[in-house]
Amino acid sequence: MLPRLKYLPAFIVIMAAALLATPASAREPKRGGTLTYTYHPEPTALSTIATTAVPVALVATKVFESLLEYEGPGLIPRPGLAESWTVSSDHVTYTFSLRKGVKWHDGKPFTSEDVKFSIENVVKPYHSRGRVYFGNLESVTAPDPHTVVFKLKAPVPYFLKAFQASEAPILPKHLLATTDLANIRQARLMHEPVGTGPFRLKEWNRGSHIILERNPDYWKPGRPYLDRVILRVIPDGAARAIALEKGELDLAPMTALPPAEIKRVGALPHLATSTDGSEGLGPIMWLEVNIREKPLSDVRVRQAISLALDRQKLVDVIWLGLGKPATGPVVSGNPIHYDKRLRPFEYNLEKANKLLDEAGYARGPRGVRFKLAATFLPYGEAWVRMAEFTKHEVGKIGIEIDTQSFDLSGWLKKIYTDWNYHFTSNFIHNYADPSIGIQRAFVSSNILKGASFTNSMGYVNRRIDEIFAKATVLEDGPARNQLFFEAQQILREELPVIFLMEMAYAHVWNKRVHGLITNGVSMYSNWDSVWVE
Amino acid sequence: MRIRLESPTLSFVLRRLIQTIPAVLAIASLNFLLIHIAPGDAAELLAGLGGHATLEYIEQLRREFGLDQPLYTQYLLYLKRLLTFDLGTSFLQKIPVIDLIVVRLPATLLLMTSALLLAIGLGVGLGVVAATRYRTWIDNVVSIAGLIIYATPQFWLGLMLIVLFSIKLDLLPTGGMMQIGAEKRGLLLALDVLWHLVLPALTLGLFYLAVYTRLMRASMLEVFSADFITAARAKGLSEWVVAWRHAARNALLPVLTLAGVQIGHLLGGSILIETVFGWPGLGRLVLDALMQRDVNLLLGILFLSSVLVILANLLVDLLYGVLDPRIVHR
Amino acid sequence: MKTLWVFWRRFTRNRAAAGAAVVLVAVLAIAGFGRLLYRTDPFEMVGQPFQPPFGAFALGTDVAGRDILAGIIHGAGVSLFIAVVATLCATLTGVTLGALAGYYGGLLDDVLMRSTEFFLTIPSFLLAVVLVAIFSPSVLTITFAIAVVSWPSVARLARGEFIAHRDRDYVNACRAIGTPEWRIILVHILPNALPPIIVVASLMVATSILTESGLSFLGLGDPNVVSWGYMIGVARSVLRVAWWMAAIPGFMILVTVLAINLVGEGLNDALNPRLRGR
Repeated sequence: MLPRLKYLPAFIVIMAAALLATPASAREPKRGGTLTYTYHPEPTALSTIATTAVPVALVATKVFESLLEYEGPGLIPRPGLAESWTVSSDHVTYTFSLRKGVKWHDGKPFTSEDVKFSIENVVKPYHSRGRVYFGNLESVTAPDPHTVVFKLKAPVPYFLKAFQASEAPILPKHLLATTDLANIRQARLMHEPVGTGPFRLKEWNRGSHIILERNPDYWKPGRPYLDRVILRVIPDGAARAIALEKGELDLAPMTALPPAEIKRVGALPHLATSTDGSEGLGPIMWLEVNIREKPLSDVRVRQAISLALDRQKLVDVIWLGLGKPATGPVVSGNPIHYDKRLRPFEYNLEKANKLLDEAGYARGPRGVRFKLAATFLPYGEAWVRMAEFTKHEVGKIGIEIDTQSFDLSGWLKKIYTDWNYHFTSNFIHNYADPSIGIQRAFVSSNILKGASFTNSMGYVNRRIDEIFAKATVLEDGPARNQLFFEAQQILREELPVIFLMEMAYAHVWNKRVHGLITNGVSMYSNWDSVWVE
Repeated sequence: MRIRLESPTLSFVLRRLIQTIPAVLAIASLNFLLIHIAPGDAAELLAGLGGHATLEYIEQLRREFGLDQPLYTQYLLYLKRLLTFDLGTSFLQKIPVIDLIVVRLPATLLLMTSALLLAIGLGVGLGVVAATRYRTWIDNVVSIAGLIIYATPQFWLGLMLIVLFSIKLDLLPTGGMMQIGAEKRGLLLALDVLWHLVLPALTLGLFYLAVYTRLMRASMLEVFSADFITAARAKGLSEWVVAWRHAARNALLPVLTLAGVQIGHLLGGSILIETVFGWPGLGRLVLDALMQRDVNLLLGILFLSSVLVILANLLVDLLYGVLDPRIVHR
Repeated sequence: MKTLWVFWRRFTRNRAAAGAAVVLVAVLAIAGFGRLLYRTDPFEMVGQPFQPPFGAFALGTDVAGRDILAGIIHGAGVSLFIAVVATLCATLTGVTLGALAGYYGGLLDDVLMRSTEFFLTIPSFLLAVVLVAIFSPSVLTITFAIAVVSWPSVARLARGEFIAHRDRDYVNACRAIGTPEWRIILVHILPNALPPIIVVASLMVATSILTESGLSFLGLGDPNVVSWGYMIGVARSVLRVAWWMAAIPGFMILVTVLAINLVGEGLNDALNPRLRGR
């Protein structure tokens, strides 16, 4: 007996090594199970037509789909609701062959009429980026129930990137035919979504949770793997971290946890962290300024505010390194369109004070030049800290700030419907191309009341409008880059928004979840190939 | 108006119920007053200072509350709606305020009741012990502990208990009423809730525990000098029996009186405790209302809480009637 | 002068109260003069966040890299200021109304009794929350709210005292010689009624500190000042990583409130020697 026992440890070691050597990817996806994630704040609607805010997009992209899906950080188009497509040689006609046998969650068949209706009547006029993608659309035709033809006035190089579920969701025509589309953002479909996606809405218990269940008639055989996706509403940042730590949650995407907790929790053995999977989003954070209001209408005032903010401190202290100081509207991670010559924004209190003096805003008896009302994006504690930081720093150059807080719907209304604000912290996604992500914030044609994440500042610059109009129809190359470089320069000088930092999305998840990081917008993909152990 | 009924108890109950009406009326009036003296437009105030109300909703509120009509008419309209427990609708949640409150109420009642039982039960016990061990080290320890607890901010105490028991020792959950996503049923659910109830109830109850211990002790000491106690001792009964069977029962009354008076205070405390522990009750609803700037919801909670306190006081009075029949027949 | 000396003797006989008085004076000194000696702005980002105490900064830094010691010093001033002012207002109001109601009785008394009963029915903290929420949080509105929920108990006490004293011999004597009513109330009865009121008022300062910190914790504090409750509220989300951020300000509250309570009891013993011996 004894001699054999001697070899037992070695035997165990060999078996263990053999098991561990099996690559994780060789493991077969398991069907079934629930993925529970959390994000703050609670979504205000379940379709990106209402608003493209992150909490909404996270849910909407599981329920609604678009014509294409995308692969890899570079977002290479792949078939989605469209099986195949052809592009004319002059790049103005796109013909999509739609999949057959796809059904809406209510059982009705999906046809080209739905696509035509959605793009023409809903996405183009009411989606925040509708004009960006479809502004040059001449016509949409549906010659037969499974074909859609888009004809553009001029070639749009990024046109194929438009068909993401968050950007151009296909909605059921039969449920919207009687809706007054001018009020589509308040329509029932926004809260009781009916899509073609791998998950459908089971329950929305406000203040508590949203349950999505598997769509049994989903057009991809065998998918989705998950039975259910649940969003848990947990307003408290520390509670979110604890729930993830204890296994009560599986995923906290896109910096849903406070930065301090991300560091701590991400180091735990059963959890994984990554800043990958969001290359296609490129979030850029800034102070959105209502330049209609004096004294913010004076560019010197805006420049002074910019000079008073130490961006590196912001990144290091409040975001604990999750990001880097911004140099302009385009994120430095963009390999093509970012102007590498751009220097960081200066931090100089003396200069700031001088500018304000020059602009005619002398200090009053208490050292105050004027008062401003500030608000902030209600996405958690880090944003509150940032508001305090801004208030304090800007106070040093004699601007007294009164900070007000609102919940998400209140904030959206104040900034994008009422335009009733002085300045607010905010972030938007660059997306893959400045024409998509940045144009919508700075062109005068996108001053749209009611549409979120548009040009709420009221910024009108003819040259900027010209630049983006030209860039929309140029293919990528030196000419297009030149245009974008010029735009970056102009926006840096004019500061219709005060650029702060490029954010880094950190996702934290339980290692039992697989298949999350799929492409450049991973959390905005439909999770049909995500599985849990 | 004389209510001549067979049962004196029933007439007592009815009499007390009628006496609560002016109080309820007063609270309703206070709410009405607050809506109108607050800065800004009353309708916008009710719609929520969060600013997310649509124009249609604000117009609807104007109609519901009759804000375009003279003050007198508005007042009557308001009272009429309160009679049907129509406290308005919370815009954000699209649910009537009364429904929101009713859903959250059981959790708060559970918390308050457990805290109160803990405080009274342990408070009485410790008070008796301290009194019987008068001036010994036990008495001193209890007194000093009580003083410290009484001076401690409840919400801070809760946080410190979380640090100790949840974080450092990992013995108890950090918050919530039950485990997320577990979906337990029946006995397992009850046990889960109980498990989550420990820290919040303890935190909420400790303050009152300190108060009642002190009061019980003082009360016991007073009773000890009474005649019937001397008689009991003379009869040769053991200290144990004297203390518990005779003295305690009489010393209990002031504690119960105080507990009744403090129910409003307890409700206020639950706001803080529920916030700290994420307990899904009325207190948390107050926090939600604050964050959403939903003034209508806040006032609805104020009204209903006050009514609750009145009812609780009524119950305490009835309890007295049971304990001391003289009160009923007065 | 002699009464003061007697009072002092009685007060210091209670060792706990005497010790607490010393602590309280220290806290008041910090509140009043601290910011002259330690000039750091509590909102200033002075370094890396989450630094533990006893490092580069005596009490460490908070979530946003702010100096915790500066926060404690400023918080002391804020909390004590609000508490004392609110108590003063509540006491002035309560004593005035209670005195009049107790002395004259009748309808005035009835109205007062109903009002105080009413206030005692509404959960006071909730009322304070609603008041501050409606009128927007600021030092002014918080002080007002605390005063509003505190005056009823003072009023009741004052009323009780005045009822007890209004038919005393010395009062009847005053009436007999034709002393005007207002003189009787203000100069004769009031000084006798004052001792228990002083005790209650001092305890009220303590509860006001607790109420104010509770309001700040919930986010209803004045956003332009740092108060102890606010510091605890901020620290709540990082309890796991840095529990001391919540512990330190809370401990300060505990010490201050405890000191006030003990001093209050000492005052009680000194001013009402008949009630000692319990």
